[in-house]
Amino acid sequence: MFKIKVDMEKCQHYGQCVYEAPNIFKLNENDKLEYLASADESERDNVKASADICPMQAIQIID
Amino acid sequence: MNLINGPMLKTLIVGAGMGGLRTAESLRRYKYPGQIQILGDEWHMPYNRPPLSKELLAKDQDLDQVSFPIRHDDLNAEFSLGDSVQQLSLEQQSVTLQSGKKIEFDFLVAATGLRSRKLVFPNNSQNGRFALRTFDDAKAIRQAAESGKDVVILGTGFIGLEVAATLKGLGCRVKIVAMEDIPLGLVLGESFGKEILRRHESKGIDFYLSNRVIDLVGDSAITHVKLVDGQTLTCDIFIEAIGSEANVEWLEGNELDLSDGLLTDSSLRAVKNNGTSVSNLFAVGDIARYPNLRFGLPPRRIEHWNIPLESSKRTAREIVHQILPGSIVGFENESGFNPMPTFWSDQFDISILSFGDLRLADENRLLEGSLDGEFAFGYYKNESLVAVAGVGMKSTIHSLRKEIAT
Repeated sequence: MFKIKVDMEKCQHYGQCVYEAPNIFKLNENDKLEYLASADESERDNVKASADICPMQAIQIID
Repeated sequence: MNLINGPMLKTLIVGAGMGGLRTAESLRRYKYPGQIQILGDEWHMPYNRPPLSKELLAKDQDLDQVSFPIRHDDLNAEFSLGDSVQQLSLEQQSVTLQSGKKIEFDFLVAATGLRSRKLVFPNNSQNGRFALRTFDDAKAIRQAAESGKDVVILGTGFIGLEVAATLKGLGCRVKIVAMEDIPLGLVLGESFGKEILRRHESKGIDFYLSNRVIDLVGDSAITHVKLVDGQTLTCDIFIEAIGSEANVEWLEGNELDLSDGLLTDSSLRAVKNNGTSVSNLFAVGDIARYPNLRFGLPPRRIEHWNIPLESSKRTAREIVHQILPGSIVGFENESGFNPMPTFWSDQFDISILSFGDLRLADENRLLEGSLDGEFAFGYYKNESLVAVAGVGMKSTIHSLRKEIAT
């Protein structure tokens, strides 16, 4: 397991992360980002890809 | 290709922007076994450019706010900064730098990106004249942009409009001059562009459209700009935001197609004039002109932020596959590099999001919402959806993304 942190001051809710890790991130019906604060190791590559694709660089993996 | 560095083969990445960094990271992720060297002409380590026109400019942030975090132990790459590349010799598998240094490689990744296009005027005074591409550019604009200054921006593209909004927020008087009659009209369509214009005007930005700057006025520093229609505008800060040019001159003399960026095949390998692919030269990011089979197109460049990222990953997989065939599961069955283009832009409280390739469209329609609030447009070619773009309505735009022709 590892932890995920999104800096919600930076996040602009573009939702680019959703395509890389659909099990972790989603845009809700109000266009706001929702995410799981921790994930199984099998999601690590996907979350890393989400962190890379985030235009605001707001996603952090915390070990 | 010869593996000239023997067992410790070397990949040389020219360009220390996001594309260069992500190529190195992806090489390590796919267990690339050799050396990696990254060359950059700026003195800065890789940083994220989108905030330069927005948060960084507004809040006068420092480099650490936009630098990409790097795990140097994992990356195990050598950075050589502040020296620009002068010439590639494919035959010798080497590049020569401005300092005279010569570096040999087994694989070369061209990720030299773009530079701002600048005009030449009869009075070519440079004091008070700016463009925005680098961190240093943004800091220079910020240093000059005190409240009450008169700013003239040339160009109604995304960078011009974002900078206009940010500098207006800092208390500057902002005017925009452009040859187009509607900001972003050619990109997003007439109705969308007119609404962007209306919102910028309502925030106090003055537009001089279907117009041109023909000269600068001022001896030691710019005081005014002259327009082709005879008007003269007061100007302390003149910002050219009229697009960019690909940094490909260093690739000349190698029988490559450099007519618009660097032409590649669908694996991002450079293509020679005789049509053969060069197995150890790749293009990453803004300079890559590749055929995107998703849209069934002749090769084109796309200057969107997600392209350096996605092309770097594809290139790293290709290099590792060449060195260690079979080590990347499923690679043989992958089609070429077929990214979904996407971009976003923030100007005042206008938040634009798009997916697909807008340039293909011959028609657009308002699909959801209303122009004075949030809305989404669909862009069509022969009645099939090739792109979607809108203001706000992000969930709607994401759902429409699924319907884009593939």
